[in-house]
Amino acid sequence: MNNEKFLAGLDAGHINTKAIIMKGREILGYAAVPTACDPAAAARAALNDALRSAGISGGALNGIVATGIFRDAIKAPALDPAASVPEYVADAKGAFFLNGSSRTVIDIGGNVHKAMSYDQNGDLLDVIQNDKCADGLGIFYTSMAKLLGVSEEELSRLALKSTKSIAVAIQCALSAESDAIDLMCQGADAADIADAVTRFMVERVASMSTCMPLTKEIVVAGGLARSQAVINHLQRLIKREVSVVSLPEYVGAIGAVVSYGGGK
Amino acid sequence: MAYNITTWGEVKNYQNNCYRNYLYASDGLRCMGSTWSPLAPLKGLGEDIHVIGGEPHSASAAGTVPAECREDIIAAETGGLGFHSCSYLKLFVGEVIRDKMAITDKTIKDGYPRPDVIWTTHLCSQHSKWYQEVSRRLGGVPMYAIDMIGGGNAEKDPKIVNYVSKQIEAGIEWLQRVTGREFSDELFVKAVRNEIKVLVLWGNICALNMHSPAPLDERRLIALFPPAVVDRTTDESVRIYETLLKEVKHMVDTGESVAPDQRFRIVYFGIAHTYGHPEMARILRDVGAEIVASVYTFGTCGNFKGIVNGKWTWEPIDPAWVDELDLSTRRKAITELAKIVLGWPTWQGVRSYWALEEMAKAMVTEYRADGLLLAPSRSCETDFRNGYIAMQRIFKNQIPTVEYDTDQVDVRKMDLPGAQRKTELFVHLMEAHKKGGA
Amino acid sequence: MEKKGSDAIIERFRHITENTPEYARSLKAKGRLLAGYMCTHVPEEILYAAGIVPLRILTSHESQAMTRGYIHETYCSFSHDCAYQGLQGNYDYLDLVVTSSSCIHMGEAFNVWVRFAGFQDRSYLMQYPHIIHTKPAGGFMTESFAQFKEFVEKLTKKPVTDNDLEDAIKVYNHNRRLLKRLWEFLRHDKPPITGPEVAAATLASQVMDKQECNGMLKQLIERLEAAPGKATLAVRLMVTGGACDDLGIFDLMEQLSYDASLIFIDSCTAARYFWFEVPEGRPDKLMALAEGYIGKIPCPAKDTVPGTGEKKRFRFVQQFIEDFKPDGVVFLYQRFCSPQPMDVVALKPIVDKLGIPSTELELDTTVQKAHIRAQLDALVEVIKGVTP
Repeated sequence: MNNEKFLAGLDAGHINTKAIIMKGREILGYAAVPTACDPAAAARAALNDALRSAGISGGALNGIVATGIFRDAIKAPALDPAASVPEYVADAKGAFFLNGSSRTVIDIGGNVHKAMSYDQNGDLLDVIQNDKCADGLGIFYTSMAKLLGVSEEELSRLALKSTKSIAVAIQCALSAESDAIDLMCQGADAADIADAVTRFMVERVASMSTCMPLTKEIVVAGGLARSQAVINHLQRLIKREVSVVSLPEYVGAIGAVVSYGGGK
Repeated sequence: MAYNITTWGEVKNYQNNCYRNYLYASDGLRCMGSTWSPLAPLKGLGEDIHVIGGEPHSASAAGTVPAECREDIIAAETGGLGFHSCSYLKLFVGEVIRDKMAITDKTIKDGYPRPDVIWTTHLCSQHSKWYQEVSRRLGGVPMYAIDMIGGGNAEKDPKIVNYVSKQIEAGIEWLQRVTGREFSDELFVKAVRNEIKVLVLWGNICALNMHSPAPLDERRLIALFPPAVVDRTTDESVRIYETLLKEVKHMVDTGESVAPDQRFRIVYFGIAHTYGHPEMARILRDVGAEIVASVYTFGTCGNFKGIVNGKWTWEPIDPAWVDELDLSTRRKAITELAKIVLGWPTWQGVRSYWALEEMAKAMVTEYRADGLLLAPSRSCETDFRNGYIAMQRIFKNQIPTVEYDTDQVDVRKMDLPGAQRKTELFVHLMEAHKKGGA
Repeated sequence: MEKKGSDAIIERFRHITENTPEYARSLKAKGRLLAGYMCTHVPEEILYAAGIVPLRILTSHESQAMTRGYIHETYCSFSHDCAYQGLQGNYDYLDLVVTSSSCIHMGEAFNVWVRFAGFQDRSYLMQYPHIIHTKPAGGFMTESFAQFKEFVEKLTKKPVTDNDLEDAIKVYNHNRRLLKRLWEFLRHDKPPITGPEVAAATLASQVMDKQECNGMLKQLIERLEAAPGKATLAVRLMVTGGACDDLGIFDLMEQLSYDASLIFIDSCTAARYFWFEVPEGRPDKLMALAEGYIGKIPCPAKDTVPGTGEKKRFRFVQQFIEDFKPDGVVFLYQRFCSPQPMDVVALKPIVDKLGIPSTELELDTTVQKAHIRAQLDALVEVIKGVTP
């Protein structure tokens, strides 16, 4: 009976690897570690950090479930996941767990973004994922924050202070960054640039999301969901209200646990 | 147990021979151009006509000698053609620049065989430039392009048929002038009937995939349609497809298939991208998902009933109809030839979003698809990219539909990891749909 | 200080290009029927003869990615922008949208309007030859134009007579002659007008009622003929390529680190739009229209001469070079455009042979001015033989 068991969910993404520890419906601890091109090492580190924050030892775990783009890379011993779940399945389950009235989750990840619709059980109905040109939005956001000399949280607050709408190229993150640098050199206001790059990212996400029929209750996941500027643009573009789940970065990891029978 | 197509050997030999004949011809006429144009007029020039079509040549060469073809593409780009240009076009022009040609039997011959004439069409805004560039680089090769116009129901529009027919007529006069040869209506009419017959026969073979299990999969369809694209005007090509049709009909009668484990039937809109496609096919095959119908293999060099009472159908045309066609004059033969090529699904879809949508809907229904896989080719402007993004909007709430970015023959433009992930996702959606989850 | 004379007229033209909906709505308020067209192969005269004002659909220069949910990434930004306009409802005031089968990218923009932007019942796709230099092309065009005329008559519920067509042809030919005269000023050393100003007037003519436009052009030309020249033209730059309705690009060509002047634009938003005439006084007006439109400077997407594969457009470009004597040529095209860059591959060697330095500019919705300036400065340096 999984509601008595300690279960760990691991979500190995391009930028960060996330770990979550759950017992029943309770989230006991969580941690995120940069993947840094070694998903297995990052998974071990994230798991250890999450266990520490949950106050339990690794031996107490009854199972580890892996998800994320690099879920296959963390199948190695020492971790030995009991199961592996595709990230879109985990996202749907996780979003549903966190918001039982939701039926669509838009997940903006480090490299890949996707939208998933699911039914009243959190079972996947449809998925759409970005094309190549739109890859790397999260990576781009991190890079832009560095360029503007702010943290990612500050970048979001900065974008909200924009007073003038300026544009960057939207073909891909590379051309957007190139334009942003050009604008910076021309003395454009940092807040306006922050808003422009946010808008670029959200347009890529929104244009993809609207290819599938959008349900009423939409939630947003992924680290970028914490940016109010992102949320504002998204709502404007898809012409829908959205809400942000708690622990948006951990939706996949939570969903992995739920897929394995946890979360009850 | 998987069935092995016995006609396959003849198909491969025919393809190889066509290319060898072109490459090594020491007499006769070398005719280069697009296989989207009607080919029969070339055969009115004699019995020693060697044909090469740009599109099938690029596709097959890339599959046979990929490293060589990568060099061709890079040579074309170094020669000024843009990164975003059609990769078939670049491969072909690259061969001209490098003064080499590679063919399907793995021969890579130094010394580009210069064509005597270029006989082509205007398929898209890039295609129109393709042979202009080839002609220019070869110092000026006589070139004639037919504007097929295309569009939904084009073959039933007398204005369009007349326009295309007039161009073919003028083209025949031009061929005579440029080659100095007398045009033989006898040879021409024979070639017309063969051309129409092959197109109809191929349509019949494809339509048999409506059965369950589908006797052929996409991999075999691609392997079997070269005679129809390379040279469909010969008695030999007719005989091959008559034999193949008999064989595939027998497979249907006995319930056999080249891929018997068919849990999922897929309709595929996209080109047969040479690289990466085997990987996608493996992911699909592992779960018993097979592409049973595809606009590329069916609709390029294949004819079906098309639009009937305002709706598209992939039902085949009775081959006996071809034998009864009145081709008693050059004009009548030209008109029937114009109609059959205008009737290609791909000629209709390239200029008409509604025709493309209708034929996709019909394909999904008539072939009882469990999923629709869209693979727009980044450098293509025809039915293999045009309208695909919009198609997602139409089909996504009806049937598992996934789109991934690819390219015909330029591996640099393919998102292989993304395409793999999306193919896995596609499989997952079909499974969920089958279980009633979607 | 209020601008006077020719400056005021030029300013008005510029204002219209930057505020096309405002101008269009003013026509609508006067009870005019408005038809948007996406390609210059639409025979505007037929619309005009029916009392409909044809207005070209241009871009908004808005960097957006929403159309990637409708059209593939790798279609030109011009087509994406036009599609976006439709989806945003920016052209909802139009009574009709028309295009002719030309390049695939603009075809997709049109399809988006028809399928997703509410223009299903007020749209018309004209079948137009893709190879215009053949004998059958003229007959095909005439038939297509006849079908279009029938459609327009049904729409307006009144016939379009031969007299209506003849009048429209005359108005449009007059416009073409006036625009030609305007560009001719730039052949001289001391023109009374600049290239960007002429570009603005030319663009404005595509989004205005022709009668009104002709009136303004006539006044402008009269003033310019009486005016002294502005300055000796410095390095003379000619642009040849694809659609560009961003006047800022042309302004930039005269704001380089060196003195340079824009003296000609061969594109479908400039010379290719008007550098032809429809024969007047012919009994068969539709055939006359077909003859006229075949005589346009060919769009690369339609340009292949049967028999030789020659590009007729190049003859025009060479003539322009001879007449306008540019010191440098700028090949300009939209990113992801297919036919234009392919033409450059063949045209550049010709320009090289004429001893004229050239550069290629790839446009997108956003342009990095510093980048373009550097590229154009480099071209001018090559022209002037400037060494560091």
